[in-house]
Amino acid sequence: MAGRVIRFPQRSASPEDIERSADRVLAAPLSERASRAEELRLEEPDLLLSLSARLRDRLDTSPAVVREEAEFIYRFLLAPERPIGLFDEREYFLGEFALVSGTACRQLSRREEARLWFDRSEAGFRHTMNAVADLSRLAYQRLALRLEERNLEAVLELSPSLVQSFQKLSMPQEELKARFLEGLALMETERLAEAVDVFRSICSEAEALGSEKLLAASLTNLTHLFGMQADVEGAIATSQRAIPILKRIEDRVALAKVQWGLATLLRETGKIAQSIETYRAAQVEFEQIGMRADVAALHLVIADLLLELGQEAAATQSVLEALPVIQDLNMVPEGMAALQLLRESLREQKIDRPALRELHGYFEEIR
Amino acid sequence: MRTTLVSYYRLDVEEATGAEEDLLVWFLRLARRGGSPQMSAKALRLSLLSAACQYGRSLQMWKLGGKPSSDAGLNRVLSREPEELALDLQSRLDEEI
Repeated sequence: MAGRVIRFPQRSASPEDIERSADRVLAAPLSERASRAEELRLEEPDLLLSLSARLRDRLDTSPAVVREEAEFIYRFLLAPERPIGLFDEREYFLGEFALVSGTACRQLSRREEARLWFDRSEAGFRHTMNAVADLSRLAYQRLALRLEERNLEAVLELSPSLVQSFQKLSMPQEELKARFLEGLALMETERLAEAVDVFRSICSEAEALGSEKLLAASLTNLTHLFGMQADVEGAIATSQRAIPILKRIEDRVALAKVQWGLATLLRETGKIAQSIETYRAAQVEFEQIGMRADVAALHLVIADLLLELGQEAAATQSVLEALPVIQDLNMVPEGMAALQLLRESLREQKIDRPALRELHGYFEEIR
Repeated sequence: MRTTLVSYYRLDVEEATGAEEDLLVWFLRLARRGGSPQMSAKALRLSLLSAACQYGRSLQMWKLGGKPSSDAGLNRVLSREPEELALDLQSRLDEEI
């Protein structure tokens, strides 16, 4: 702060007014927002708080929309430089909207963009009063990105320290989320029993905290784990607990993942036709949310199962739908060889099944 | 808050009242930031103390226009980082509580 803060009398808006203002902002087309900034009161810190909370809540429902909205607000706040609120509030909002945008990019598998947004978020948060807490939330997102890139050793190494940071900061929900990453890394390194223990413990703590979102997400992962262990009873019972909660909180990403878990279970227990049907239902969900990477991954899984049923033409079609997306999103830095083999086999009109399996196995692990 | 602003940073009563008004508005929003609702009262209190120290320091430095004060105590306080002083004040409060 370079000089004395001069105060002006401000009309304080009621919480209802602020929510109505947030509705107005989100209803205004993006192309008109900047020119209507004054009318929409886009510089009001209370309104920005409401908008950031709303966007965070919608990350699991409509990440593509959230990405656009958060990016707009970030750029509006960034330039031309304008005073926002008091003390560190401009820097906080820059950090927060960049974090939301980066998180949405991560969910949409736009990993390079996510990384850049996380750097922008750090640049904002570094200048805030409450930097440790906000930077720890950012560290969680960066670790989640590492998990998606299958940097599993790093996740297993770094997650305990992040858990500890949240413990020190008395942020129990964030602490559970960090343990969540550890559980997923254990799951992907085939340490299934340990992963089940982690998620069971998260479930009971999430219940104690009254966090339906975390409870449902843990149940979703337990469904997957039981599916991977071909534990029919466990998977069905867990999914039956998860689905009503997910519907209530409108977590469409997790709902699609539960379907994916059930489809895996059907596949593991030899019910191929039902499995394909369930994978396709999950695919429709992912499509509607804009999660193209998951849609493409499921195309490959379905292609493999279609080959199992002797439906070579349908399988080829399924692979052909996946390949442009995989290339476009640069999804398989580790699976380039398999991708190349698969492409060549398609040219010869005979799918290279080991290559296909290698590729979809890779995607299923990073799910 | 008042002690920090008046005794340490030597703000007069009017300045301290103005500072408290601003800090209250800021703090109410701080408590609604992403992640803050889960934070302990102690962590939020430290943020508030840091903001108060930063406010007091900036205002006095602006008033002094880069020159040292004739008040040696104030010069000592101004030479410290606001976050550092806030941590000290937090420890003292903890002891009192």
